[in-house]
Amino acid sequence: MRRRKSFLCPATLLPMLMLAISINLMSGTSEAAKSNEYADIEDNDFAEFDFEDETDESSKVEVEDEDDEFDTNVEDEEAEVEVETENDDEFSHFEDDEEFEGFNPKEDHEDPDEFYNEPKARPEKATPNPPKQPIKIVNIPAHLRTNWENYYMEIFMIIGIIVYFLNFFTGKTKNQKIANQWFNSHRSLLESQFSLVGDDGSKNTEDIQEPLTKESENIFTFWCSGRVCCEGMLVELKLLKRQDLVGVISTAMKPAHDQVHVRVEMSPEDMDSFIFCIANKKSSLRLAKEMNDLATYCPERRPADKFDIPGSYFIMSEVAEVASAMLDAKMISMFRKYPDAIDTIHFSDQFTGPKPGEDQQPLELPQGKQVLIFVFNILTGKDKSLDEAIEETKPLMQLVFYCLDKVKRYKLSREAKTKADKNRTRVAENHWRSIHAVKAEKAAEEREKKRREIKERIREIEDPEKQRKMEERENRREKKKQQPKMKQLKV
Amino acid sequence: MQCANDPRRPERIVRYVSPQAVLNAQNDEKKDAPNDDLTPDYMNVLGMIFSMCALMMRIKWCGWVAVYCSCISFANTKYNDDTKQIMSSFMLSISAVVMSYLQNPMPMTLPFTG
Repeated sequence: MRRRKSFLCPATLLPMLMLAISINLMSGTSEAAKSNEYADIEDNDFAEFDFEDETDESSKVEVEDEDDEFDTNVEDEEAEVEVETENDDEFSHFEDDEEFEGFNPKEDHEDPDEFYNEPKARPEKATPNPPKQPIKIVNIPAHLRTNWENYYMEIFMIIGIIVYFLNFFTGKTKNQKIANQWFNSHRSLLESQFSLVGDDGSKNTEDIQEPLTKESENIFTFWCSGRVCCEGMLVELKLLKRQDLVGVISTAMKPAHDQVHVRVEMSPEDMDSFIFCIANKKSSLRLAKEMNDLATYCPERRPADKFDIPGSYFIMSEVAEVASAMLDAKMISMFRKYPDAIDTIHFSDQFTGPKPGEDQQPLELPQGKQVLIFVFNILTGKDKSLDEAIEETKPLMQLVFYCLDKVKRYKLSREAKTKADKNRTRVAENHWRSIHAVKAEKAAEEREKKRREIKERIREIEDPEKQRKMEERENRREKKKQQPKMKQLKV
Repeated sequence: MQCANDPRRPERIVRYVSPQAVLNAQNDEKKDAPNDDLTPDYMNVLGMIFSMCALMMRIKWCGWVAVYCSCISFANTKYNDDTKQIMSSFMLSISAVVMSYLQNPMPMTLPFTG
């Protein structure tokens, strides 16, 4: 039985026509010469669905299977030839030769535009054609085309970030190298003076792995302890901010040096009551303003010319005899030998750090510590290598130990001691007075606040009789408070 | 045996206590020791402000400046500081740059160039 009708229904005919047109356009004139073959192929295509051909049993079965799917996939299977059983009457006119006037499948087709099957189409039709995919035309935005030069600012920014991080790693490495070199070169000297050199917080002092502690990429510290006269010594290597590009640029514009800050914490019984400081001009200005003990006890700054010290150094001393006692021949020779290497020398028995802000005034009188502070510059330059600069700080470290022993031995004269004690008593009294004034002010404010609250409550009472009674009660209470307190004797 | 000139005294060893730990013990809230370098804190705040400007007002150069502020804050931070602060500052500044370009992929224009 023929199953040609379903194949030739409008739903299949239109896509087949479209496919045929596209194939026709692609093939060209040369293939038109093979029209005889095409006619045969065309015939064969139609013959494919001729189920009267008994030798083609497998295709018959396949067609039957395809037929089941055909109803559901009508539009997609445009190229596949599928046959379904239908009434012959509907498509019987296709069998009529007179229906297609002028059409002779046996004639040669010379017109290239005329629809005909190509020999190539056969292998294609043997396998199912892939479904027709719509052509997508993607709109490429104008800015993403190949004009990267418009993004020069972004490229510049990215390069800047890369340069910053490159500088970060090189600066960090260099600072680490300087710190390690300094520590290693001074380690033997320190170990001859202290039992413990470097403390990383381990329980046992023998288990200390890293004596040098890294506070940040440019600040390294280590703690030494176990010596006569002092509780310990904190050494801070405050190097330049080589890891920060902004820091590098600011150092290039305003020269600065790597510094070594040494802070020796004396035992209370090993230091007398005096405050003394010698510093270069810039540092002395800063210290006089910032440091609490210098601002309180040493308000005057005097130039150090009197002691034949080169450079512009200034002295701040509570008692004049302390300056003469501290600046002996050895100290002065160190100042002469290493000009610019010594930034600050500060001895104090009332050290409390920087002055607190206005809103941070402590209620309790801060307890001063006995400290010796030394600030040395590591003078590297064009004519001095890093090794030489580090070697130069060794005699300065020797100066620290010399001063330590000297301060331990030094005792104030009786007048100086009396003056110093008087100063400390005066400062303590002023402090308590100011604290008392602050406390009294606070208490008055609180009392006023309470009084206002009571008055508000009285006003809120609706009953006038109650209001009057409350007011009278308050007035009586206030009068009683204002009366002088007298002791009453009961007889 | 120690000779008389040897200043070392193992029995007088005092272990190191950092100033930060001392301050924390004295105060309830964590506070930086005075005289500390405040550059990382300032750069952090500045970075956040520029990030907000970039996100809300869609100004691209603010985003880039925020990234630079985060980098400077990172380079100057101390080891005992909280790293979460730095990381969040970085993330905020990078997201500000990315968001401003997603909203408007055109190249950046500086304010004075118009």
